[in-house]
Amino acid sequence: MAEFNTSVKEQGEISKIYLKGYLDAHTAPSLENTFSSLIDNKRYKIVVNFQDLAYISSAGLGVFMAFIEKVRDNNGDIKLTSMTDKVFNIFDLLGFPLLYEIFNSEEEAVNKFIETKNVENK
Amino acid sequence: MTFAGIKIKRNIKLQAFVVFIVLLFLFKIFSPSSDSFPLNILNEILVIASTIFLILYFIDLLKTKRINPLSLVMNVGIVSAIIFFLISFSNTIINGLFSNVNERVNNPDLVFGIITFIYALIILAALSYIFLAFKEFFYLNKKQNANTYFNTMVVFIILSAFTAFLKNNHDLSFIKNTFFIVSVLLIIINSLKISWIAFVVKREKLIILFLSIVIAILFAVNLINNSDKEIHHQILMQFSPALNQFFSIIMIYGITYFTILFFTTLFHMPTAEAFDRKAQEVSSFQYFSKLIIQVLDFSELTETITDIGMKVCEAHAAWIVLTEDDNMKIIANKNIGYVSAEKLTDEIFEKNIEKYDKTFILKLERFQGAMQPNDNYSYAAVSPLKAYNTLRGYLVVVKKENFIFDEEDKNAINTFSDYASVAMENSRLLEESIEKERLEKELDVAREIQRKIIPAENPEFDKLEISSAFIPAFEVGGDYYDYFDIGPNKLAFVIADVSGKGISAAFIMAEIKGIFESLTKTIDSPREILIKANQILQRTLDRKSFVSAAYGIIDFEEEKLKLARAGHCPILLLRNGLAENLRPSGLGLGLDFGSRFAETLDEVVLNLQENDTIVLYTDGISEAKNSKDEDFGDFQFQKILLENTNKSADDITNSVLKEISLFSSNNHQHDDITLVILKWKPKIKKDGEEEWQNLTPLLKNKAK
Repeated sequence: MAEFNTSVKEQGEISKIYLKGYLDAHTAPSLENTFSSLIDNKRYKIVVNFQDLAYISSAGLGVFMAFIEKVRDNNGDIKLTSMTDKVFNIFDLLGFPLLYEIFNSEEEAVNKFIETKNVENK
Repeated sequence: MTFAGIKIKRNIKLQAFVVFIVLLFLFKIFSPSSDSFPLNILNEILVIASTIFLILYFIDLLKTKRINPLSLVMNVGIVSAIIFFLISFSNTIINGLFSNVNERVNNPDLVFGIITFIYALIILAALSYIFLAFKEFFYLNKKQNANTYFNTMVVFIILSAFTAFLKNNHDLSFIKNTFFIVSVLLIIINSLKISWIAFVVKREKLIILFLSIVIAILFAVNLINNSDKEIHHQILMQFSPALNQFFSIIMIYGITYFTILFFTTLFHMPTAEAFDRKAQEVSSFQYFSKLIIQVLDFSELTETITDIGMKVCEAHAAWIVLTEDDNMKIIANKNIGYVSAEKLTDEIFEKNIEKYDKTFILKLERFQGAMQPNDNYSYAAVSPLKAYNTLRGYLVVVKKENFIFDEEDKNAINTFSDYASVAMENSRLLEESIEKERLEKELDVAREIQRKIIPAENPEFDKLEISSAFIPAFEVGGDYYDYFDIGPNKLAFVIADVSGKGISAAFIMAEIKGIFESLTKTIDSPREILIKANQILQRTLDRKSFVSAAYGIIDFEEEKLKLARAGHCPILLLRNGLAENLRPSGLGLGLDFGSRFAETLDEVVLNLQENDTIVLYTDGISEAKNSKDEDFGDFQFQKILLENTNKSADDITNSVLKEISLFSSNNHQHDDITLVILKWKPKIKKDGEEEWQNLTPLLKNKAK
């Protein structure tokens, strides 16, 4: 069985999800649970770090689709960061860069959230 | 028949009793009281015979009922109390009704005769019942046939009663006294057989302890009241000395039996609880076997487990906590509400769970007084439910205030939870294998759907070689490709990969096929078709599903390929020994249902050259894994294609498949593998116009 796990770190309003291992049809429910509990706690500013993710299948991609609408309706976003080339290629083929903001580093994603907030406040 | 038989038999005993009583009554009325020896004997025979038939009739009456010792003790108490009242009031009432009673007793008139006769009959019935009760006590919890003592006693009681008419000063009175003494000795011996008391639960023992001393005193008082001066005694003696003797014997039996019962119960009291527990344990082991046959239904099984868990240690409530992925789930709560069970569970497990790998007792403090009065629990015993050294959960039993768990409770619940763990694990494994079988059946269906959706054969054309390979994964990956006949000189093709696996992917595949089948008939542009397909899918696709697809149309006349790609792997064009990725922009179907899908979707047009090879594939090829879990990869794939680019479409396909199977020979296939190769082979134009006519696509396959 392919290993997969997630961990969540909080940084102010922003929640950072760290993915590790293989995200496929069998492990996708685990990530779904992570997203669900964040949304249940009204945490809509989410950065997903793909640094340690070795593989993502179509079912894994589906998880992001399942929650993006709800998150954006609540003034939040799911930003994706630190993908390996292989993982990025899978996202890219399906056109995900057109739908999601994908950053090279977690910091950029966090800054984007903060910038957006500052703009809104002005 | 048997029912009728029993009925008749009963009637015979009752009838015999009635006959003897009538005879006795007539005898009493017409025969003056006398000391005549034969008449006395006749009187005694009638009395004893009617008593025996009455007892036999009572035996038949009671035969069908299950005897509960406590209610039997109570009944004897009630009957002896009735006798007590009869004796006490016989003086007052009969003295009030008749003057000169002492005279009348010896020389009765008709009315007095009838009243004393009835009185004696009531006493006789009461004594018969008590005697029968003693018989039931004697045979209670008797396993072997121990009736010799009892039968001997019965014989001596009859003999003693029969010889009672011999006066004390009579020469033969020693016979009467001997029989009487032997009867009493046998009564004492039989009264010692009292082992049934051990099997009575503690609460009932307490009641019996109290009742037995009261009843013993009642019997003693009744015996003392049967003295010479009492009217009661005189009536009985007048009626029959045998009845009087029977009365005394039964009273002695009562005193002996209930005194012994009192002391035996008293001595059993300290061990009563231990005995109760042992009895409980024995019945618990019977329950264990019940656990084994209940593995078919997990929830029923857990209900039984909490039920028995409570019984083995006399707890007041119980529930099971299942630990799954660090979540605690409460199931099968017995005698306690879900909310209360949850609160107590939180208290029990608020500290580190890891340490609880043995049964332990815990004092519950936090919710003392805060809960509903019914839920005021003071102690909890928690026993882990383990299977193959993996913790599955806990069995929690709790006791109310003023109750504690002792060492034996702890052992009992510990042993029981071991059995419960095994039963639960068996049930889980069974459920798992049923589920697995169900999934396999489901996948069979999914593969069957996929097999029917994908074209069985490739169409054949003069200008185009087509070769395809499809290898389904065990779990059904959702790959789909198809060709469509869209009129003369044209071929449309599609390749798609549905997200997810199994039956849900297979259904989406079927839907996609339907959508493309209908759209290709009316729309001539790959881009337009994909936009339309995306719109249609909006109605049915759930949010986390999507489809990557590429759709192309080859125009044989114009020698052009029009192609649009919705999130699918790039289409490879092999031309002049080079591989080119055709990758027009486009989102996967179902990823966006707004305007963005159309805005970002591009269509490319390619002028076909001779020997152009168009390769359609799904990610099952580039992601095929070897035993080291490495990908086959795009680079390797393109390398093989280029090495074989000059071969026929079929040969290229075979080369690719061969390499992939070599590469992933030691690993199982994760995803469907689909490969379609189209090779452009136009005939040389010099053959002129006629040749063009023959180039009309021959969709032989479709005609089939």
